Amino acid sequence: MKVPVLGAGGVLAIMLLLACPPEEPPEPPDIVKRGETLFFEETFDGNGRTCGTCHPRENNFTLDSAFIATLPNDDPLFVAETNPDLAENFENPRLMRQLGLILENLDGFSDLANVFVMRGIPHTLALKTSVASGAGPRTGWSGDGAPGDGSLRSFATGAVIQHFTKTTNRVAGVDFRLPTDEELDALEAFQLSLGRQEDLALPIALEGDAAARGQEIFLDRTLGKCSLCHFNAGANGDPAVFGPQAGNLSFDTGVEVLPDQPADLTGELVPPDDGFGRPGNGQFNTPPLVEAADTPPFFHNNAVATIEGAVAFYNGDAFNNSPAGQVLAGATGGGINLDATQVEAVASFLRVLNALENIRQSIELLEASGKARPSERVVSQVSHEIEDAIRVLAERALHLDAVALLREARASVERKPPQSRKAIELLREARSLLAEGIEG
Amino acid sequence: MRTTKQQGLSVAFSVLVGTGIAAGIQQATEMFIPIGQSPALSKTATVIGTIESVDAAKRTIVVKSDGGSATATIADKTRIFLDRSRRKEPNRYGAFEDLEEGARVEVLYESRTRAASGPAEWVKVEVPP
Repeated sequence: MKVPVLGAGGVLAIMLLLACPPEEPPEPPDIVKRGETLFFEETFDGNGRTCGTCHPRENNFTLDSAFIATLPNDDPLFVAETNPDLAENFENPRLMRQLGLILENLDGFSDLANVFVMRGIPHTLALKTSVASGAGPRTGWSGDGAPGDGSLRSFATGAVIQHFTKTTNRVAGVDFRLPTDEELDALEAFQLSLGRQEDLALPIALEGDAAARGQEIFLDRTLGKCSLCHFNAGANGDPAVFGPQAGNLSFDTGVEVLPDQPADLTGELVPPDDGFGRPGNGQFNTPPLVEAADTPPFFHNNAVATIEGAVAFYNGDAFNNSPAGQVLAGATGGGINLDATQVEAVASFLRVLNALENIRQSIELLEASGKARPSERVVSQVSHEIEDAIRVLAERALHLDAVALLREARASVERKPPQSRKAIELLREARSLLAEGIEG
Repeated sequence: MRTTKQQGLSVAFSVLVGTGIAAGIQQATEMFIPIGQSPALSKTATVIGTIESVDAAKRTIVVKSDGGSATATIADKTRIFLDRSRRKEPNRYGAFEDLEEGARVEVLYESRTRAASGPAEWVKVEVPP
């Protein structure tokens, strides 16, 4: 047996390693840490689900069918398949597994078999930029999931009642316990800490031709018209058009009248979703776009699988004949009518924005570890972020030179011990191939 | 010229935004929250007390609480919830007839202030064990 012989350098390296054990990054404020623990571990004495069941960190705080397919059958997401008390009228397991759709009784609980909607799970990133509006907080897809004052803080109470219950009786103190005020505060603080804390300032100096053209189309009020409702590719209306306090807006964009929706094609009962209110006004909240490319599928009912399809939606009759589409056409002289190349360009722009955000988050996480070795959790999260950046770019063969650097960066992070400095350098180098002038 | 175009856009979109309903006024899960536990409302905005009198003709109730007596109008769109949580039974939707003198209730006015009178957004009525 050959015994490896360490030179002086090897011995020094080992001594340094022993002297510098893995450490957690600087602790976030206590309330955020407390909220994180609650978000991922607290079942509220219910059916076993936590907030993280439907908002897993490793999948950008959302669910899609591909991720669901990786979960074991005893995952609490599937309680409708394992708990006889929840077998009826709690979820539709087929639609959940096939399309990532969750059952919600937003129009009341008097007829569980027939009155419900099937919705996708919005990610919880960048909530700090997307919930506030001049008309009050807008949470979830339509703003009617939160009881109490309708705030993000109160949303957790609604989620426990809707999704955590042991039976469809939903008796507080029997089927679940309600979150305390302290828990609601902490859950809100944690959710607000996730992702971007401020909106971008477009335009940015993009390096790629397609993405740069996509940005022009996105911002062009006579062509793409996207930024009117997605100002700076976020979730808020253009303040120059909607007023400085507009914030997040809610529109009927006609998604519900799309033909051949995947859920409808299954033959399962999928009642129409009338959006906010009862009866509903057909309106749904505007989601942020920076995080869109790596959080498919799209729209409140997961009707569209790709970011290209989501951009193309605005060319179709469903949007252009909708209340929002009609006002847009009246105000701007016509509907949206992009050619296929323009759709690809806008989608490329959104893919690059998403990759830039993945890189930003990765650098931020690694730098938060300082000179200490990043913890396994940080390594895992950074690895996921970089993987997302690679995927959103490589799927359309965008910036393959940057993709190569991102692969190196991911390998550096996953090395034992992780090479954080090297990874950060590679991430910055990759970023410089996507856009100029972004610091940090 | 540019300003004019901008103003035109603003006017057109204000119509669209104007059709929106104030966020946060419909929350089906409220029904399952026992009296006194509605997040951010029970401690600041609702009136919790007992029904002092009922006027069926005017469809009003007078609720006596620590803050005095207040009148609430039960409009067609007012939601009435039967809070059966002390019985450990599921809460149910109720009707005006469930609002009886002496019953413990929690009232949220449409104005969402305690100092109000007028139409109620919802009323929770406790069903004793």
